[in-house]
Amino acid sequence: MIGRWRLRYWPLKAKLLFLTLFTSTLGIILVSASLIVVENQNYRQRLASELHVIAGILAEQSAAALVFEDSNQLTSIISSLRRIGTIRQVCVFDAAGSLMSSLNPPESVDCPSTIEPSQMGFVGDYYQLSVPVTLDNETVGHLYLISHLRALRAHIQTFIVVVFGIGALIQLALVFVAFKLQRVVSQPILALSGTAERIAQEQDYSIRAPVSGNDELGRLGTTFNEMIGTIEQQNRRILESRAGLELIVEDRTSQLSLANKELEAFSYSVSHDLRQPLRAIDGFGQALEEDCADQLNETGKDYLRRIRAASVRMGSLIDGLLVLSRVTRQPLENQRVNISEMLQEITEELKEISYSLPTDIRIQSGIWVIGDGRMLRIAFQNLLENAWKYSSKEAQRVIDVSATSDSRFITIAICDNGVGFNMKYVNKLFVAFNRLHTPSEFGGTGIGLATVYRVIRRHSGDISAKSEVGKGASFYIKLPVLTDQH
Amino acid sequence: MFVWKYLVALILCASLAPVHASVRSEYEIKAVFFYNFTRFVNWTHLPDNESPLRVCVIGDNPFGDLLEPLNGRKSQGRKLEITSPDDVSADHGCHVLFVSVSEARNLSGIVDAAHEQKLLTISDIPNFIDRGGIIGYIKQGNVIRFEINLRVANTLGLTIDSRLLELASRVIR
Repeated sequence: MIGRWRLRYWPLKAKLLFLTLFTSTLGIILVSASLIVVENQNYRQRLASELHVIAGILAEQSAAALVFEDSNQLTSIISSLRRIGTIRQVCVFDAAGSLMSSLNPPESVDCPSTIEPSQMGFVGDYYQLSVPVTLDNETVGHLYLISHLRALRAHIQTFIVVVFGIGALIQLALVFVAFKLQRVVSQPILALSGTAERIAQEQDYSIRAPVSGNDELGRLGTTFNEMIGTIEQQNRRILESRAGLELIVEDRTSQLSLANKELEAFSYSVSHDLRQPLRAIDGFGQALEEDCADQLNETGKDYLRRIRAASVRMGSLIDGLLVLSRVTRQPLENQRVNISEMLQEITEELKEISYSLPTDIRIQSGIWVIGDGRMLRIAFQNLLENAWKYSSKEAQRVIDVSATSDSRFITIAICDNGVGFNMKYVNKLFVAFNRLHTPSEFGGTGIGLATVYRVIRRHSGDISAKSEVGKGASFYIKLPVLTDQH
Repeated sequence: MFVWKYLVALILCASLAPVHASVRSEYEIKAVFFYNFTRFVNWTHLPDNESPLRVCVIGDNPFGDLLEPLNGRKSQGRKLEITSPDDVSADHGCHVLFVSVSEARNLSGIVDAAHEQKLLTISDIPNFIDRGGIIGYIKQGNVIRFEINLRVANTLGLTIDSRLLELASRVIR
């Protein structure tokens, strides 16, 4: 099976060479074979006619000796045939059919006085014939001659050697000629396929195939070149439009980054510049409270307290905004971070600040992720603070942190038993300054989850939440499992 | 070498054996030879190839009636007619002349006459060809052979086949 298909994988050159040489070899062999057959036929005829001529001459010469019954003379006549090595036996019989003379002793080679017509001519390795000896139209005896065909065999063998030798020489010449001629066909095809390969590899559509002749191959080359020309034009157009697009993108990007920078500078300066009057409000509020307390009635004191509380809230708002802008701006410094330990530290801190009700915190150990430690700390601090805060009105606080992972992502779930929220507003959850609870219920800036969202997005992760009012809330942080770069 | 020669002799004897086996008299053989001579001689002066060939036997006929079978037999398309005339005159119209031993004394006269008539002369007179005859029988041991005087034959316009010449034991050219 393999052998049958192998021809398909031959290179074109080899196929063409094989075809021409196979045809020519077949031709040469057929011609040689027919030459040999014809030569064999001709040589046999020639041999037969020569033998007949010899026998005829002998019969003519031996006529007189036969009628005079002179055996010695007969022997001397036919002994001239000893020089012809292929003649095996010659016998001369008189009219009565008795043997008069023979070339070789009749004991060594039999002298048949009569031979049947079927045995005349070529029989086996011999040619035998019998001619009458006539004198004045009267048969006075007959002559029998047998010759072996060694000469014929030798001649045909030599002829075969010569014919096949010449055939081989012609074939050699044909190999040379075919080698030259196959180029006429294969060269344009090879050039075309070479050009096609070069175009595919270098993606250079300015290359053109050489076109030779006006035959199918020439037309193929022309068509190919036209096709490549079309592709080149289209390519140029695409490249031009892409260059235009890139210019636009570059323009937009620079505009965008400029706007971003301005925004960052703005928010930074706003946060900084807002702090100064805030400190003044708070500072003078405190001074008023301390120095002029006796001049204020209870209402004035209440207002003053509210002013100070508002300025504290504004300070934490500004802090939140600063964190948010830092989270957005800062470059990531990825490393392996043990989330379990981090959460443990955060809960310890939270317990120190407020530990009013029994708290049950379960953190799965050995949660490792790749990411920026400081940013992740901001995110998880916000999440744990939320859980802590919204479960502060329950009889017992339960916070559960667990992680599941597959080959691509690790998902960390933070579940609490707090007040939860209505899933209707889940879309507003991660947008800055959106709060689902009034400040009187739970304090907060509305920036926390926006910051978390930003951090997780910057880590190419995702965050989602699930809750029901009064039945706690669950936050799922999905982070990609990156290979450790350290 | 001895063995080889012995073998050759044996083979020759064996091949000659049939000839000797049929015991034939000297004149039987001579008669056969006689007929065969006429087959290898060409009379160029004869007008056509079909006129009969007249064979004359002069003197005592040693063949007896052995020549009778030849009478009417054809040689080179010619019928043989055998006669025994008394003399060698042109009236008999002979073409072949057999000279009997009994005529040995008149040989020169007969030969001259024969030359005049361009006859093929045959005889078993010893040294016949040296004395102007054309074909002469000789005996070599037991074997009958013949001699030919080609020179005389040529002067008379008689062409003798070279095959016959080759069989002759002596040829005067």
